[in-house]
Amino acid sequence: MQDRVIVLVEDNANDEELMLRAFRKSNIGNRVVVLRDGAEALDYFFCRGAHAGRPASDVVQVVLLDLKLPKIDGLDVLRALRADERTRLIPIVILTSSAEDQDLVLGYGLGANSYVRKPVDFTQFVDAVRQLGLYWLVINLAAPA
Amino acid sequence: MADDGTSTPLVERLRDGLRLVSTATQAFAESTSDYRRLLDTIARDVAAAIPDTCIVNLLSGDTITLVAVHEGVPDGAPRLRYVLDQAYPLRVAGLSAEVIAHGRVFMPRVDFEALAAHMNPEGIDQLRRIDTTGLLVLPLATRGELLGVLWVVRRGHRHPPLDELDLEIVQDLANHAALAILNARLIQRLEHSERLRAAEERAVQASRLLDAIIENIPDMVFVKDAAALTFVRLNRASEQLLGLSRDQLIGKTDFDFFPASEAEFFVAKDRETLAANRVVDIAEEPIHTPHGTRWLHTKKVPLLDAAGRPQYLLGISHDITERKQAIAELSAAKAATDDANRELESFSYSVAHDLRTPLRAIDGFSQALAEDYGDRLDAEGRRYLARVRDSAQRMAELIDDLLTLSRVTRSELRRDRVDLSALAHTVLATLQRLDPERRVEIAIAPGLATDADPHLAAIALDNLLGNAWKFTAKRSDARIELGETICDGVAAYYVRDNGAGFDMAYRDKLFGVFQRLHSEAEFPGTGIGLATVARIAKRHRGRIWAEGAPGAGATFYFTLTEQPCRTA
Repeated sequence: MQDRVIVLVEDNANDEELMLRAFRKSNIGNRVVVLRDGAEALDYFFCRGAHAGRPASDVVQVVLLDLKLPKIDGLDVLRALRADERTRLIPIVILTSSAEDQDLVLGYGLGANSYVRKPVDFTQFVDAVRQLGLYWLVINLAAPA
Repeated sequence: MADDGTSTPLVERLRDGLRLVSTATQAFAESTSDYRRLLDTIARDVAAAIPDTCIVNLLSGDTITLVAVHEGVPDGAPRLRYVLDQAYPLRVAGLSAEVIAHGRVFMPRVDFEALAAHMNPEGIDQLRRIDTTGLLVLPLATRGELLGVLWVVRRGHRHPPLDELDLEIVQDLANHAALAILNARLIQRLEHSERLRAAEERAVQASRLLDAIIENIPDMVFVKDAAALTFVRLNRASEQLLGLSRDQLIGKTDFDFFPASEAEFFVAKDRETLAANRVVDIAEEPIHTPHGTRWLHTKKVPLLDAAGRPQYLLGISHDITERKQAIAELSAAKAATDDANRELESFSYSVAHDLRTPLRAIDGFSQALAEDYGDRLDAEGRRYLARVRDSAQRMAELIDDLLTLSRVTRSELRRDRVDLSALAHTVLATLQRLDPERRVEIAIAPGLATDADPHLAAIALDNLLGNAWKFTAKRSDARIELGETICDGVAAYYVRDNGAGFDMAYRDKLFGVFQRLHSEAEFPGTGIGLATVARIAKRHRGRIWAEGAPGAGATFYFTLTEQPCRTA
């Protein structure tokens, strides 16, 4: 049986907890896989290292990708995912604090599906997460695996 | 000879003749500076002495030229036909040539048959036509030099035939005339040589001026022989630059002074100039000198001979060493500025990312606390939590506004056509959507188009209209206006509202960062918006100023182009 998971690539524990809370508040029940740096994220997607034995039933519904990450940064993760046959069609939403033009341009240029700036106001934050969940988990039809 | 007081006709004539000779001689002497007038005077005075016709011919090499005629006959008498100043070869000159060869001819009574042996038929016809009765042709000679021939023609019978006395007088006059002609020629020659000398002097002066110009041009000026490429001329600046005197340089080539690679470069450029026969511009060339390596901007020019072949090579070298250093320093300074800007960029990036993250946690967990444990807090506790969240959000706004301000300063200005009216409509529509309860009268002048950076213009209007919206919040009859006026010759745009206004005493504080004229409780804000607008105006070489009064609204003017002149 398939497990439609949300992958959250986020190194900040506060943001992680708030994100998970926002999912709960928005009644998003999918399992959330949290990866805390870029290297771990790539291990997960390519089933290697600590994630060599990850459940084959995980079907990634959407990746929420922070840009500033330890080891390998978000844009490099994006580049690697888009370059690989197995992951090139996975919906990837950049979720970050930065609204710098250069990050937006680079992110879309590398094939991000969406770019969302994390609002400071938690109410807005929950709202953003709810809309994201609605769109990527309900409305959007993912490419067949 | 009689000495009784009475005079015989002969004595009279002699006296008249002497008087004539005397006045004529005087006239000749006075005319020597004007050759033409002298010849006419001779013809006139001789003709008066006879009294009849006189013709002056001058000899020059083997040609003879009729130069002056005085007919001395009454009106109605037949006139001579002649052309002045026409030269004839001596061999066809007939009687004149005869006189030059063998001396004077004196015919008190003209004998046309005898003349036929010496003159052509046209000449004889002419003498007949003017009714010639006597003829005296004598050479004009002085100091052993033969100058010409003088003809005296007696016409008709109004006067007695020519006699020995006439001959004496005319000969005397001819001698004086010849002397005067010789003098006149000498004076002419003298004047000619004087003119030559003056011309030479002018040429020397001109050459001296040219020398002085070349010598004093503060750039190195040099001339090389086109074939050997040896120096033939150098100016003072050349000597100073090369640290060598021209004596050491003249006749030498570049290889005698410069390192081989440098000399080869110079000579290659010389040859290129001469081969292409055009000016060659060498924007930068290093040259080895006693003052170290100098950089020159050199132009080389081919100088051609009369046949159009290069004869010399002219070189003009401007020392650009200092300028080159200044440019290098400038570009180093620019690199340093660019580095600083990149650092600022990365700093801003960190601010955007890193400062917001903890704020999000403060706000998020305060919210979580309120939601999950709100029932265990009393109203005061919940109010405190709300204050924590407000502050976190306000700090986020501050960070965002500072980032905008920094971006406005850093970003490259790209001017394009901007429709300010359309922009204003968009901004106000957004404000209305966020605040649907507000009723504000909007007056936007149509078609306010300008050349500005579209992104920056949008930020400026966002701030000004946002302020107007904010400061009219307490009025039920709020009105916001965007318009255009002319100030010091350029378009100034203004945003006018009838809101809280401000005291003009504080107008200088309006545009400083974090400067606020209202309390946060009264009107919220970061105090960065107007500073941002002021920077946007400044980036466009424009300016911003404001008018207002407390409770009577405010008007913010801004320009987006340079004002030609502005009274402070």
